[in-house]
Amino acid sequence: MYAYRTIRLCTKDCLCLYVCPTGATDTESGQVDFTKCIGCGMCVKSCPNHALSLVPEQFPVQQLHHKDVCDTMFALAKDKSEAEAICHALAAEAKDPIERQFMTAFEMSFRRQAEDLYRECGYMLPQSANARQLLTLMLENNDSAFPLEAAEQLLAKLQVQSK
Amino acid sequence: MAKYECTTCNYVYDENVGIPNSGIPAGTKWSDLPADWTCPVCGSPKSMFRLVMEKDQPVMAAKSAVISATKKAVMPFQEDGVAVPAGYGTDDLRKLTNAEVAALCSSLAKGCEKQYLTDEQALFLKLSAYYQSKVVPISEATHAKLLELINKSLAEDFSDAKLAAESEKDRGALRVLTWSSKVTEILQGLIQRYDDKGAALFEHTNVYVCDICGFIYIGDEPPAICPVCKVPSLKLIKVERK
Repeated sequence: MYAYRTIRLCTKDCLCLYVCPTGATDTESGQVDFTKCIGCGMCVKSCPNHALSLVPEQFPVQQLHHKDVCDTMFALAKDKSEAEAICHALAAEAKDPIERQFMTAFEMSFRRQAEDLYRECGYMLPQSANARQLLTLMLENNDSAFPLEAAEQLLAKLQVQSK
Repeated sequence: MAKYECTTCNYVYDENVGIPNSGIPAGTKWSDLPADWTCPVCGSPKSMFRLVMEKDQPVMAAKSAVISATKKAVMPFQEDGVAVPAGYGTDDLRKLTNAEVAALCSSLAKGCEKQYLTDEQALFLKLSAYYQSKVVPISEATHAKLLELINKSLAEDFSDAKLAAESEKDRGALRVLTWSSKVTEILQGLIQRYDDKGAALFEHTNVYVCDICGFIYIGDEPPAICPVCKVPSLKLIKVERK
């Protein structure tokens, strides 16, 4: 575990600086220095504005979802994806600025809904086996435009979940 | 005198009280509110309200629909498809369209953001942008087509997914299905109002989208929290008119 500061909440009370045994919170960036943080949690307890939290280095294995749940949720996400495409086309073709604004909002909404659905059918954590297998399968893409290095870097950077 | 509760945001319309500030005097019957009256908090149409019972009853009776066999089958292969893990922890794959993979990757980017993994977030967004660039644009898109898809989604796909999630007691799935079905019903109402009254209806208002659940708010200032998912208003993103 290491401490992370939600900068939006920090009101510069600086008690974290006072209690931190290693000086990890004493940074110019406003963020905790993760290389110094030992995860003792003192700053979390001292902060009067709850701006600090402990983030796990390794998440537990993702909860499994039943096949019926995944199949029906993926089908629903497909609807959202199709609706997003329709709204995208309507926004692109719109001559009226209100219509364009309206359809852009719809397009955004359907994307947000699809993203949220995927979270709950096996893709909550980027470190999960599903996400890793997805990235591995992507490596087989031989399209020259495919950002292969992005998939490779993600596989290298994202820690494997313990089984 | 009765009370009606908005199933989206839990606002209660009390016939005894009315909404005097909005020109609805105390004692105004629910049935006397105009058909196009909408929830003053979240903008949901009248159809999203339910009568508040003396002793509260569940909003919906248990659904007896059965998931159709076709829905259980893994999606058929598509020319522009990408094979991805099916999600339930085996080696099964399912084929997704490029558009679906784009959303899956932007979802994983959000997962990274939540863990403060900014580099990884940017990499997933790069992958998402690639798949998005491969999406074939839709020709002849219309409001009617969109509404047809929304109606089908609410009538079939949501009830199938809710049935599966309920039978598995999958809390995570039930959570997202509750939010997404509310948002979809709101969108359905919005597009109908837009088609009935024309764009002029929205001429003097702002438009906001909740970055978490997709709720769309039409009004001057966004509510303090999203009426659907209850996230603070900083996540309600203003959509500019360009």
